[in-house]
Amino acid sequence: MFFHIVLERKMQLHPSFFGRSLRKNLVSKLIKDVEGTCSGRHGFVVAITGIESVGKGLVPDGTASAFVTFPVKYQCVVFRPFKGEILEAVVTLVNKMGFFAEAGPVQIFVSKHLIPDDMEFQAGDMPNYTTSDGSVKIQKECEVRLKIIGTRVDATEIFCVGTIKDDFLGVINDPAAVA
Amino acid sequence: MSGEEEENDAELKIGDEFLKAKCLMNCEVSLILEHKYEQLQQVSEDPMNQVSQVFEKSLQYVKRILSRHQLTEFELCVLGNLCPETAEEAVAMVPSLKTKGRAHSDEAIEKMLNDLSLVKRFE
Repeated sequence: MFFHIVLERKMQLHPSFFGRSLRKNLVSKLIKDVEGTCSGRHGFVVAITGIESVGKGLVPDGTASAFVTFPVKYQCVVFRPFKGEILEAVVTLVNKMGFFAEAGPVQIFVSKHLIPDDMEFQAGDMPNYTTSDGSVKIQKECEVRLKIIGTRVDATEIFCVGTIKDDFLGVINDPAAVA
Repeated sequence: MSGEEEENDAELKIGDEFLKAKCLMNCEVSLILEHKYEQLQQVSEDPMNQVSQVFEKSLQYVKRILSRHQLTEFELCVLGNLCPETAEEAVAMVPSLKTKGRAHSDEAIEKMLNDLSLVKRFE
């Protein structure tokens, strides 16, 4: 789910960037450092929408580092998937183990074991899972509603595992496609 | 991962930080991201290079989900704000649901309202 939250970050700026455009430099460095990154706690930072406050700069003791630290509070849009959350995703890859789908920046894997039993894997040019009567088909580019049952975070992304075996989950019927 | 065992979206155990935070609907996200993209377009000629892959993917995703509902962003936001409970109420508030030759069936409207109420649950 997308959230709009306030985060804080200690930005380090070299005095050579001080002057009239200090704030502008701080903000562009913040955007460069933070947009597109991911953390386990907040999820993916999609976009920074505003700066709430810039605190007083802290000059470090000693001469080891000339960088001054500014605490910056900023508002941003984040995408954070949660265990138990139901969301819609676009299928990107289908194989005999299950299928991969993407929801925004997050990748979700749905294992064969969490796909309804009446759907079988069909190999070929366009691998897919189909029901025995051919009425429902899961293949690349189709949209599915799934439930996230687990999340894993590594350094730069969040990876999820999902299921479509519950009520109201599975392929979303697109009336345009049926016609 | 240690904190995650306790998290469960279905039971609203999503951490204090997020319970108090503002949840964004897809239409709101698309408005924010498009606005930002336009701002970048004014500054540079190739905004696509400046935005992260995360931004691009998120924008594409929300646009796709929105287009599937075949509603304009405005209609979606109005429905989201007013939370009508029945299809009849929704059509009364947003008459364009039934005009423009798009004729959403009552069933389709009810389904959209259900989807919206799932999101509203968090607010």
